[in-house]
Amino acid sequence: MKILIVDDDPFAGEMASVILESDGHDCTLVESGLAALELLGDDSDGFEVIISDMNMPLLSGLELFRELRDQGIATPFVLLTGDDPAPLHQQEPRLEACLMKDASLEHRLPSLVEHL
Amino acid sequence: MSNPSSKPIQESAAKPPESFQARKAKLRQLFLSQLPGRLADARRVVADWRGLEPDRTELEALRVLFHTLKGSGATFGFQPIADRAQDAEHAVRQVLEDEETTTAGTLRNTLTGILDDLEHLQRTAEGQAAPDPPPAFELAPREPHPERGSDRSQRLIYLCDDDPALAAQLAGQLGCFGYRVQAFTTLTELAEAVTQETPAALILDIVFPEDSNGGPKMLSELTGRGEEDLPCIFISCRDDFQGRLQAVRAGGSAYCTKPIKTVEMLEFLDRLTNPNPPEPINVLVVDDDQELAQFHATVLEEAGMVAKAVSDPEQVLELLDHFDADLVLMDMYMPECSGPELSQILRQIPGHVSLPIIYVSSETNVERQHQAMAAGADGFLTKPIEPAQLVAEVNLRAERMRILHSLMVRDGLTGLFNHNAIMQFLEIAVANARRADAMLCFAMIDVDHFKAVNDTYGHPTGDQVLMALSRTLRLRLREDDMVGRYGGEEFAVVLNGVTLAQAKDIIDDLRNSFAAVTFYADGQEFRCTFSSGVSDFPTFATPDAMTEAADRALYQAKHSGRNRVEIALADPSASAEDDTFSAHRQATDAATTDADQRSHDGE
Repeated sequence: MKILIVDDDPFAGEMASVILESDGHDCTLVESGLAALELLGDDSDGFEVIISDMNMPLLSGLELFRELRDQGIATPFVLLTGDDPAPLHQQEPRLEACLMKDASLEHRLPSLVEHL
Repeated sequence: MSNPSSKPIQESAAKPPESFQARKAKLRQLFLSQLPGRLADARRVVADWRGLEPDRTELEALRVLFHTLKGSGATFGFQPIADRAQDAEHAVRQVLEDEETTTAGTLRNTLTGILDDLEHLQRTAEGQAAPDPPPAFELAPREPHPERGSDRSQRLIYLCDDDPALAAQLAGQLGCFGYRVQAFTTLTELAEAVTQETPAALILDIVFPEDSNGGPKMLSELTGRGEEDLPCIFISCRDDFQGRLQAVRAGGSAYCTKPIKTVEMLEFLDRLTNPNPPEPINVLVVDDDQELAQFHATVLEEAGMVAKAVSDPEQVLELLDHFDADLVLMDMYMPECSGPELSQILRQIPGHVSLPIIYVSSETNVERQHQAMAAGADGFLTKPIEPAQLVAEVNLRAERMRILHSLMVRDGLTGLFNHNAIMQFLEIAVANARRADAMLCFAMIDVDHFKAVNDTYGHPTGDQVLMALSRTLRLRLREDDMVGRYGGEEFAVVLNGVTLAQAKDIIDDLRNSFAAVTFYADGQEFRCTFSSGVSDFPTFATPDAMTEAADRALYQAKHSGRNRVEIALADPSASAEDDTFSAHRQATDAATTDADQRSHDGE
């Protein structure tokens, strides 16, 4: 699957892409919400899933998600956060999933993407 | 940061070079190794507060730092680190949300305590996380170039040094230039490998833990076993006479002192392993006796050199424009213009200051010989001269001058022309283009997000990127294009006889091949891109104008998203634009640095 990963922390972003690539997915990593918007603006890119960090400067993961939906881009969107994911998901139920950043990401992320 | 194609670190898709576990382990290791730096940053901010109230920007930066630490710490399974980072984040957030209750002093004490804990946790984790130091050669980049046209690529080099870090680094760098390098840390392993397959050359350390003269002894042993023609370069911290003497006695072909200069090492390796003869030496023979000039030229030609004979000193300058002479052989007494006079003329032309000049004369008075040389010559040969002696003298001097010259005008890391040399070439090229009414282009090239590469993978890896780019430029450009390192991660190319459109195509091609190069560092793959600005003559009529225009176009390329080539357009209001441009450039610089900084320091 063609996956876009958005994270301004290169370690976390790299780790997510390592996890997903080991499952055979094709990952592209960008370091800001703006970069993601620009990339998704070209229809040619055809990403099937977007996985984004919540806490980023300028444009948070949630703002990115809303901006995309406003633009009519309905690509499934998974939000990663260092904080408790439950309130965030409540705040934005349209999110496909909201996951806590921790060691179990290694298992949960691939199975989540599998079921999208 | 706004264009996805510009990102410096690109995971290559779909084809993981190593197992997931291995890649994860490397990432974890990298995270841990960069953690002390981040903690030190936080400590510096906190220490600076003293009695002062911290400002919100600083607090916000700290909050982001701890938040990021929490996220990646948790992702990599360092739960205690993540927990403590979360405590710190909460403490900072509390102050941010309610400034009244907590003082700077309290916060400082809390954070200092947490930073102590984090540092301790980092050390503990590092002890546990590094059970298997990777073998030295696994760190070496594997054939970073897709094209295999290189004549070096098949040349196998064995490198033996008991310091695995040094061995890996050197192997990596030489690998960038197309050598196939295998690194060993013990002499036993090396001897074993030589039995299996004979390399094109050896690089051997002198001092080994078991024997301060281990390297030379090993070479003697190998030679004794019948590996007579094995060229060997010794590397050593020792720069004393005894060390060098032992190396020479053991049959070493070259000697490099540590720290190793890669370009110097490459010069040796190229020479030792190159089966093709080097470029023939070019000699210009000036003698008013036309027959003698022709005779000397013929003698030199028969020895494999390229020689041109000229009997009229007036023709020398024009000839040198087209004939790239390594050396001038000059009669001392010529009726129209004496040898010393001609030498002085040549020495007053910047391009010919270092051109070796040797007088040929029947003058035997040593004092007069010296006087003549004072005008700027490098040697003296007495007529009549035996053909064999002429060849030997010319060979000797030209070879040495070539080496000296290349060390003088070349950049130490990349082997490209250095800043001064490339600017001088541009000056000459502009003058030639003006005289011949020819086309000429000048391109400035800058590696995108180079700082991020250095920050993420370390300077040795950054250096490898620069070397790989220089190699791409050198291999792919035409013979008469000049490539130089303008400074830092900036390169300059002088393209003779091409239109602006052709120049853009050429640089665009280079850009695409460079972007396709995969680099390996610490087991991770990444890619780099570059941006470029191109200007042309005569739209920009002076070297300065061309440089400035290309620089301006380069910034435009950077600004429009990087990984692209922009051409400099003639600007009727150029002078009015200048101020806006420099102001704009400063602003862009600041913005870029901030963005790069932020994305690597945390969320």
